[in-house]
Amino acid sequence: MIAFKKVTKSFGARTILNELDLEIPQGKIVFILGMSGTGKSVLLKNIVGLLKPDSGELYVDRFPVHQMSEHEMMDVRKICGMVFQQPALFDNLNVFENVAYGLRRHFELSEEEVSRRVEESLGHVGLKGIEAKQSHELSYGMKKRVSLARTIALKPKILLFDEPTTGLDPISTSRVNQLILDLSNQLGTTSLVVSHDMESALKVADHIVVLDKGHLLTQGTPAEMQESTIPLIQDFLAEVGAP
Amino acid sequence: MFKVTFASLLIETLQSLFQQGVRVKEVVKYLDHLAFKSLNIIVVCVSFAAAVTILEASFHMKLVLHDDSLVPGFASMLIVRELAVVVMSLLLAAKIGAGIAAEVGQMKISEQIDALKLLGINPFNYLVLPRLVACLIAGVLLSLIANAVCLLTAALVTTWSLDQSMAFFMTAFRRFVLMKDLGFSLIKGALFCGIIPLVSCYYGMTCEPGAGGVGRATTKSVVSSSICIIVLDFILTLVFSSFY
Repeated sequence: MIAFKKVTKSFGARTILNELDLEIPQGKIVFILGMSGTGKSVLLKNIVGLLKPDSGELYVDRFPVHQMSEHEMMDVRKICGMVFQQPALFDNLNVFENVAYGLRRHFELSEEEVSRRVEESLGHVGLKGIEAKQSHELSYGMKKRVSLARTIALKPKILLFDEPTTGLDPISTSRVNQLILDLSNQLGTTSLVVSHDMESALKVADHIVVLDKGHLLTQGTPAEMQESTIPLIQDFLAEVGAP
Repeated sequence: MFKVTFASLLIETLQSLFQQGVRVKEVVKYLDHLAFKSLNIIVVCVSFAAAVTILEASFHMKLVLHDDSLVPGFASMLIVRELAVVVMSLLLAAKIGAGIAAEVGQMKISEQIDALKLLGINPFNYLVLPRLVACLIAGVLLSLIANAVCLLTAALVTTWSLDQSMAFFMTAFRRFVLMKDLGFSLIKGALFCGIIPLVSCYYGMTCEPGAGGVGRATTKSVVSSSICIIVLDFILTLVFSSFY
């Protein structure tokens, strides 16, 4: 479980997360929706220690992230995988090496097992056979899917997605949504997905959280969201033509 | 998680050397990529700098003393103590400093540095340390080469322009330049070149988003590296002067 208890995070005079209270249940797919600049990506980066809360408490599994040092955060990062907004592939490595990097780093696997896991992960995102390509030879959408393969290859307990379907074509978007569902069903992975994509949220999420100006605006199941009378939710629903 | 400062970058990089060591393969790669690919520029520029030094010194000595026979000796001393190593370092600051800041800055804004952290890789060990070690080694080697090229050019210009023999130049060189001059020159070369990756990685790691951010990081890294080299040169010259 991930728990935010009155977490505040500011950049200069601008408060991004303002005494946020939020609990993410284990094994569920939770979509975080909200307008741009409401602190969705900041929320994810706090979970893995790329940012540190200014105040409040943040627990990931049993770890008190808010009071852990950079060195201690390695234990949290072993159980969390994050797919960034940008593909964030290492330019100097080819696709195989990008996906294999974390596997070699975290596990003592034979090269055959590394190859099998790389192939399996690339297969999940529909990119088998591109192992030898350099990242500059890939389209933006392909880079994003390789980045996803690199993260899922480590089979983390908690998966954090920062706008995973932005820039993807409809077929790749469906594939990523299906993958999030499969990982949750097969491995019991907790998935936290930051997105603007209400259509994907309604199809995939167990739970939807809506942030507004650093606060929790509302949360509930997709069915509850569709019944919501909050103007911001209705605007999101209107964009996808939902009733 | 923590804001990168120049001091924290230096401490984390040195700590990572003792905790995780340095990847020798990467050092060799950067030695070739950062240093030896700059060799042609260094050779051309220090040669002309040496030639100008001889010609200017001769002109002024003739003007004031009506005798330029001391030019080879004084010029050799100036070349070994200052000219070769400072010109070489400033050239490297412009060439590789800009490249490092741009590369690391691009990695920062494309979230590659965050991805490194999440994969359990210390970005200071991965990005800064191999470049630092490569530049320290390159500083020594390039100082030797720059001094040799400078002195050879000075000797050739002396024979061509001052109507003095190569043997006269060598005699003056041996009389004026001490072995410790060369030693101090190599130390300066290593330290000047060591500053470049530290400053450039710092500006890369604190780069603001966007193409403008990378541009500003690149400019700041070249300007700051150059200023650091000049200030450090002053400090080291003061320190080394106490050894004479």
